[in-house]
Parts: sequence; structure tokens; C-alpha cells
Amino acid sequence: MSLTDLMSMAKPNIEARDKILAKLNGKELVNCFQCIKCTSGCTALKLLELKPHEIIKLVNLGFVDELPSSDIIWTCVTCLKCVQRCPQKASPYHVIIALRNLAVEKEAKVPEGYLKAVSQILETGQVEAYQKIVTRKMETVDRECLKLPKISPPKESFQAVFMKAMEEKTT
Amino acid sequence: MTRTGVYVCHCGLNIAGVVDVEKVADYAKTLPDVVVAKHYTYMCSEPGQHMIQKDIKAKKLDRIVIATCSPRMHEETFRKAVAEAGLNPYLTEIVNLREQVSWAHTHEPEKATEKAKALVRMGVARAQLLEPLEKRRVSVEKSVLVVGGGIAGIQTSLDLANAGFPVYLVEKAPSIGGRMAQLDKTFPTLDCSACILTPKMVDAAKHPNITMITNAEVTDVKGFVGNYEVSILKKPRYVDEKRCVGCELCTQVCPVKVSDTFNENLTEKRAISIYSAHAVPKIAMINPDCCLRLKYDKGVCGKCQDACEAKAINFEQQPETIQVKVGSVVLAVGSGVFNASEMAELGYGRFKNVISNIEFERISDASGPTGGKILSPKDGKTPKTIAFIQCVGSRDKRFHEYCCRVGCMVTLKQAILAREKIRENVRIYVCYIDMRAFGKGYDEFYRRARDMDIDFVAGLPSEIHSSPDGSLYFDVYDKGTNKLLQIRADLVVLGTGLVPNNDLAEISALFHASRGADGFLLEAHPKLKPLESPMAGVFLAGACQGPKDIPDTVAQASGAAAKALDLLSHGEIELEPLKAIVDEDLCSGCKICASICPFVAIEMKTDIVDGEEKTMAEVIEAMCQGCGLCSSACPTGAIRIQQYSNKQVLTEVEAALAVTCAEGGK
Amino acid sequence: MKTAVFWGCCILTSQYAYEMSLRQVLPKFDIDVVDLRESTCCGDPIKSVNDFTANYLAARALSLANLTSLENLLVPCNRCHFTISEAKKTIQNNTKIGRKIVGLLKEEGLEYNPNIKIWHTIDLLHDYVGLERIRKAVTKPLKGLKVASHVGCQIIRYSDLGRVDDAENPKKLDELICALGAEVVDYPEKLDCCGAALMRSHPDSALSLAGSKLRAIQNLPANGLVVSCPDCQLMFDAKQKDAGTTVGAKLNVPVVYYTQLLGLALGIDEKKLGLDLNQSPVDQLLNRISA
Repeated sequence: MSLTDLMSMAKPNIEARDKILAKLNGKELVNCFQCIKCTSGCTALKLLELKPHEIIKLVNLGFVDELPSSDIIWTCVTCLKCVQRCPQKASPYHVIIALRNLAVEKEAKVPEGYLKAVSQILETGQVEAYQKIVTRKMETVDRECLKLPKISPPKESFQAVFMKAMEEKTT
Repeated sequence: MTRTGVYVCHCGLNIAGVVDVEKVADYAKTLPDVVVAKHYTYMCSEPGQHMIQKDIKAKKLDRIVIATCSPRMHEETFRKAVAEAGLNPYLTEIVNLREQVSWAHTHEPEKATEKAKALVRMGVARAQLLEPLEKRRVSVEKSVLVVGGGIAGIQTSLDLANAGFPVYLVEKAPSIGGRMAQLDKTFPTLDCSACILTPKMVDAAKHPNITMITNAEVTDVKGFVGNYEVSILKKPRYVDEKRCVGCELCTQVCPVKVSDTFNENLTEKRAISIYSAHAVPKIAMINPDCCLRLKYDKGVCGKCQDACEAKAINFEQQPETIQVKVGSVVLAVGSGVFNASEMAELGYGRFKNVISNIEFERISDASGPTGGKILSPKDGKTPKTIAFIQCVGSRDKRFHEYCCRVGCMVTLKQAILAREKIRENVRIYVCYIDMRAFGKGYDEFYRRARDMDIDFVAGLPSEIHSSPDGSLYFDVYDKGTNKLLQIRADLVVLGTGLVPNNDLAEISALFHASRGADGFLLEAHPKLKPLESPMAGVFLAGACQGPKDIPDTVAQASGAAAKALDLLSHGEIELEPLKAIVDEDLCSGCKICASICPFVAIEMKTDIVDGEEKTMAEVIEAMCQGCGLCSSACPTGAIRIQQYSNKQVLTEVEAALAVTCAEGGK
Repeated sequence: MKTAVFWGCCILTSQYAYEMSLRQVLPKFDIDVVDLRESTCCGDPIKSVNDFTANYLAARALSLANLTSLENLLVPCNRCHFTISEAKKTIQNNTKIGRKIVGLLKEEGLEYNPNIKIWHTIDLLHDYVGLERIRKAVTKPLKGLKVASHVGCQIIRYSDLGRVDDAENPKKLDELICALGAEVVDYPEKLDCCGAALMRSHPDSALSLAGSKLRAIQNLPANGLVVSCPDCQLMFDAKQKDAGTTVGAKLNVPVVYYTQLLGLALGIDEKKLGLDLNQSPVDQLLNRISA
């Protein structure tokens, strides 16, 4: 009621913000005083315009709603530089992960690669399928011919439990 | 049977905003022996105190219970008021309804009120058992020890000396002057630091009431407020102070090079040298860790001795222990500067052209390593671009959470000096989080910097890199333009913050002066008692109590002097009677109390009792802080704290456990 | 010592050289690796989808390790190491989440053991085996070889979690390389990220990051790049051509795993170390060594 973004007429969603705070196990997110170190050193800034300080400020002021459906939260490279260097331990990386989880929950734009990963794990236990590699000497090899041991996929019991885990509310 | 008066304070809305003070006063009326129970907005005010005094006389009260804020606030005030009305001040009991009730349980007013009632009930029960006590007087030494010879120590010493008090000014370095002597100019006036400091240094050295002991450290402290016995170790200079004329012929012939700490290790000096350009006293000193003769062989070198016309060199000089008796101590040991190599990403220590602000200060100083020219350390050339980076080591949970208070002003000063010296041939950037220019003339100084074409970038870089050619570069995002900027600089100055000195741990232990969570020496109360340590007789001045600039340091130094004068001027002091006392009949001489007393306030003495030798505990009242450790450890109950006997404490406990009842006796 | 090993997905399904070289070099230092009962994901890609499930998967890896009754778990992949380390801390600090995860594991008859020590290749070799022992074991010192090192991101950050090496000044991989008789070249981009995490959603940007770093390394007086994470190797080695195209540079940087270099210094056959599988021009580097 008290605050409006005049560009979009959006209002803060304090409940959503508090949910994220609770999920992050700590109040450091609100300690951010916009020193901008995270953005200055952000690996994804030059190529993809990710500004971690902006995301933290938006969440702090409660402008959470616009973020899960944005593309920007998927540009983080997870280099963890912002977590390492933030003088207030506000950790933009963890906030971005929380926003990504929120995006999935809301069924907003989620890059296909991540959803594929989920179904791959459900089926085989792993995110990749076994590949054949062509060596520099133009030979095609795989695990078997390289005499690497076979390790079994997860037992059947895994699938049901994995799906149960996925049902856990993210925020 | 006593006649108790209960007074419940509203403390404005501090208490009354949560606790129903009227209900508490009404409840108090129902308690045994309570003759009158009132409530009022501000009990500590004049009308509030008058109210109590009137009732003491009119209703012949002999016990007063005041339910108000923490006793640490106004216990003295109320005791004085009660004493003025003719009642022994120690028959007053303070019940804390603020810190312990309204502030702790702000969101539960009903429960808070019930707790307030219970605390008042406890206070009334305890009040019945209070005993009238008297303060004791102890004579004091009318002299002061000032530890630290920077501007704080110098100012304190001059104030005390001018008031007629003998002062022992002890300084660890071979010269007084401290950090301020290292500065080029001071903000916001751009006064030359040496010009305003050296006259005071000379005054301190020449003052008949000041005994200046340099190259010395305190090694032992015994005694108590008003009666300290301090051992000072004066380390040998290997130069006769009475003969040396400060001509520096010795320095010219000494073959050994040593890193110059006064110049922040930017230059070298010789093993024998005078500490700094404006040293007071201007007497040479030999570094025993580097001097060839002192380190290795009695027959080696000795060139300085040959060259000295005053015959002042004495390789056999011994350390000297000086014992002094003083009434109080002022700690003015200053602060250190953050070691920026702890923030490895900024390249300090790896890249020669990344320097700290104190190093810049030495470079800018005309008596420094470059004769006052701003030159990059790596190639000795004038930089074309200088970048200042703020908050290095400060406002940072990884290092020091506090704001260093002076960083912004130091950078503004240095940026302005760089502009004045290099003129238009340099670009100057300041990367900051906030610009804190809070003091008198400070924001005007900030505007002056902006007038001088100094660029302010609202954002900090994450890391600094060096190109193969040695130039530095870093990326920084600017909040104002929303641009990612890359700055290429030949000199990067880090706004390294002030940090607790390395020797504070030792100082703290020697003087029992506690340290706060931030590592600085702790004041007795952050608002009302910023100049005194919780340890009686020990006062604090300057940056050792917390980072601060020169005006605040000088103000605090004069304040500490006033505090010491206040304590010692009458030649005696009063001691609080809430201390340990020994019942000699019960004392078995087991020494448990003496061994655990943290203030070393208990001695064992042997007396003839009933014709036999008996060893018993004796309390040194001036040192006893009434902590009660001895009382709880004593196996026979022989030692107890006045006003805190077992009976007195247990009565309160019983009252706490009683159910709040509506009826009571009168 | 005997240690369980969690390979993750990347190593088992395509980065065979890392596994081959590790299996070759560790026995030389009396370290036996014991595979887990199952090949599963550590949970890293799931973090972005459901953080809780990611922690559960990581805890599952630890509980599979628990089945071996061994106290140590080697995790050679940087991302797996980070994910499992974070999960361990989360379970330790958050009893609610911890209880839920332990409950889920119980449904499969698995038990979570909080006391398993997590190792990475680098600290296992540097801290457990030690530089002295490695130096003594070297039979073919890599004299004259100059390399750049890339330790990666997720095993040095963030310090509060307790990582394998210092975040701003990681030295262990460099020291391990020097123990082989080679030299290490420092460079400003040393701590830059390889970009692997973006491959799932922004492959061009990922390749651009890898390409920029490779281009910088190419300009150094170095004979190659040494890594110790399968994701980093994927970007710099397997994707080197694509990375070069993305940044418009012709890239020609030999990229090897540290364990491959170690194996060479120990006199182990090139083929056994999987050096055929490297896609980057490692023959340049290999020729230097045998020369």
C-alpha cells in the first residue's frame, strides 16, 4: 500500500520476500548495503548483464514477483565470487537459486535443460547418458573398451523417493 | 518491621508503554511493610526525587524501593536524594523494570506487568534486610601515568601537567608524536600536521611536570585506583641521552640498512638513526637486532662511536626499570592500520603500486621517502591515474564490521592533495559505498573535492589486476550511470581502516581494561561514560577506544585528563561499600578466595588471635569490585559481599517464587 | 588408505580420462578407491529446480558411501564436491531439513553418516599424500615444462564452507605441478570461471567465457593448461574448437588433467592415462616432455 514502482505499477510482495528470507536460513540478505562489489566482479555481467546487487535490492524491497519469470535469474554462472567477497555475507548466488526454485514452482520460464535433467535423473539416476568418445587418433571408445568398471544405476526404490523429494515445497 | 516506600517510574513511555505502572503501584501497596506506593512519569527528575524526599520525612520511611530503569543509570542519583533526606543511602533498592521488563518483553504487556509485580515484590522483600553502610575514604597519589605518546597522550599530559599534576608519559617508540606525526596534512583544514603537532610535542618534552619516558613499555601494574605501582621498562638506546645532540653524524657512517617503519617500510634507514624528521627527543637509537656490534661481536664495526663527537655512543647501555606510583592511568595507545594483504583480491603486497592510505601519507609528506612528490612506488614516476578504493577491511563481516570513521575523510584529503600537487595531469577516481563526511567542515571539504575534478564512482571493485607492463586495472560498476567501467591506474590507494593495535591484548591484561567485541578498549558506558574503562582509575583517550579523527581524539584526551583530575584532586577518594568483608571467626585461612579473586583484591595475613597465630583472608577494599566469586566459593561462609549475604539473596529468591497475591499485611 | 569414490555423472559418462588417470596414479600412493553401489547424480543441476531435492541427492551420495563402511569419500569433480559439502553443512545446521532428508533416505534403507570426510583430488594429493612423497615417486621429472593452472571455482569458494584451497590465493595445484618438476606461470585471469554451468541454458555465453580464458592463456609463455575438474576440462578441452569460434580466435592450447601429468611423471603409459581422449592438441605438450 505504501510503495509503488511507477514504471510497472508493481507493489512489493512482502510475504514472498519473507518466504525467501526464511528459506535462506539467515537474515544476511537484508544486510546488503549496495557496495556493488558483487556486480563489479560478476562473471555473467559483461555477457549477460546480470547485476546481482540489483536482484538483492529488488528482493529486499519486496519486488519479488517480477523475478521468477525473468530470464536474468538463469544467467548466473555459479562461480560463487559474490558469495566469497560480499562484505555483508548477503550471498546473491543463494538468492538467485531461491528465485529459480520459485520460478519452477510457479511454472514460469524455466530453461529446458534443467527440466530435462530432472527427467534424466528420474530415469537413469544420472544427468548424462553414456557417450562414445572419438580420440585424437580417430578411434571410437566407450567405458567398456577402456576397461572401466560398470557401476549400476540406482535401485528401483530410488524413483519413488526421488519424486517424493521433488514434491517438497521450495519456498 | 520497617516502613517501606515504593516508587514506580513510568520512564516516560519506556516502562509505562508496556507495563501497567498503576497496577504495579497498587500491587505494591498490598505488600508487607509497604507504607506508601506511588507512580510517576520520571522518578529521576527533580519533582520525582522531591516526592521521595518529602515522603521520607513526612511518613518516616526507612526503606525505599524504586522500580525504574537499570541501577547502572540512576542508582547514584537516587542514593544521593535519599541521603539528602537524612536516610542512609544504602537503604535504597532499585528494581529494574526497564531493561529487565519493558524492553525485554515489549510485545507481551500483560505478562510484563505480572513480572514487574513479582520484581517489586522481590525488591520489597530484600529491602527489609538492607543494612545501613558508609563509604570509606582512601588517600590517593596525585600523579598520573599516561601510556602512549601520540596526540591523545600528549594532550592529556599537557592538561594534567598544566593543572599541576605530575605526569609520567610513556611511549613505546623512540619519539613521541604517534600516528599524527606520520601525516602530511590534516582534514578538513589541510593544516600541516607536523606544524600543529610539534609545538605540543616540544611543550610536553619541556614541561616541568611531565616526565617523558620514550623507548619504554609498561611491564607490570600492581595496586588499585588511587594507588597504582607501575613498572616501566626503558629499553636501551645504546646512546647517552644527556650527550647526544642529534647531529646524525653516526647515521651517515653506519653500514647497516634497516627498513624504516616510520616511513611504513617505503625506505630504509640505518641501524643507528633518529626515529623521524621531527623526533622528540631528538636522540639517536641503535637497533640491537641489526647493529653488527650488538648482534654479533664486540670487536666489530663501531663506526658510529668513532664518528660521534659528543661521545654519546654506549654499547654497554642496559635496560632500566623505573618504578612509579600514580593515582590513575590514562591509556592512549592508539590504533593500528588494517593489513590489506588479508584482502588478497586487491593485490596489496603483490603489486607494488597498490598502497595503503598511511603509505600514501608518507609519500605525500615533504619529510617522507619522496620529498613530498606523489610518485608510484614501482617506477618512481608521477602517476597519470590514481584510484582510491574505500572501506578496505572495514564494514566487512569477514574482517571488521565497524566503519573506520576516518577513511572517507582521509581519502578526500589525499585526493585533494594529489590534485594540488600534480595539477591537471592526473585523473583521480574515488570508488566508494557511502561518503561519510559527518564533522564540522567535512561536507564542505567533500564539495571542495568535487570542485577539483575528482571523480566519484558509486561502487567498489571486486578485484584488482596487473597488466604485464605493470599498470593496474579493475572493473567497477557505477550505480549512478549503471555502467560497468574499467579503470586503468598507475597508483591504487586502499582506504585501509583503523584496527585495534597488536599490543592491546597485553595492555588490556596489564591494566584489567576490558576490550569490546570489536577489539578496541571498552568504555564503561557507550553514551555516558566514553572516557573511562570499567576498571576504576583507568581512563581511555584516543583511537585505542575506537577509531576517530584528531578533533575527537583531542577532545577525548582533554576529557580523560579532566576525569583523572576529578578523581585525584581531593587527595582522597570514596570507596563503594558493596565489597567483600571477612568474618574472622569463620575464616579458616584456606586461601580459596585469594586464589580465585580476578581483581587480586584478597591477601592472606597472619595475626595473633586468642594467643595463637592465625592466617586469615583480608580484603583490599579499593580493588574489590564486589563480584561475589569469593563469597560463593568460601566453604565456611566467612567472606561475603556487603548487602549480598546468603539471607539477603535467598529472601529475594523466596519472594520470586511466591504467588502474586492480592492481599498482604500492612 | 581405502577411500570410497563418488564420480558423479560427467566423469562416468564422458570424461573417462580423469577416471583412468586417477585409477592409475592413486595406487602408486597406496590409495585404494572403492566404487559406490550405484552411479547417481550429486544433485547439482537440481539445485536450480528444487534445492531440497539437491540436498537429498547429495546426502544420498554420502549414505551410499556409508554402505562401504569407509570414513573417506573422494569426489574428483569440483561441482559434486561443492554440492555434497553444502548439503552436509545444511543438514548439520538445519534440523528440520536434516530430519526430512534422513527420513527419505530411510525409505530406501539408507543411513546418513555425517562423519564421512569429503576429499577432492587436489587436497587428497597435496594434504594427505604430501608433496614430499610425490616428489620422491617421480621417475620422469617434467623438466622444462611450463604450464598454467586452472583450479576452478567451486573447490575454492566460498571459504566459510571450508574448501579445498584458499579462495584468493590457491596454491595447492601449483605446488602439485611443481612437485613434478614443471614450472607454473601466473596470469591475471587465473581465477576466472570456465563457464560450464551456463551450458545448460546459455551455451554461447559459456563458450565465450571459456574462449576468452583460453585466448589469454594462449598468449602466455606456457606449454599448456592443467585442470582438475571434468566440467572445466569439458569446456577447455572438448569444447575448445567451439569456444574459439565463439570468441573469434584460433585456439591451440593443450589441456590436461593434473592426474594425467602426474601419471606421466610417474612413468605410466600415455594410453593408460587416457591421453588419447583429450581433444585439445596435447601432442605438443607430450612431445615436450619426451624431448
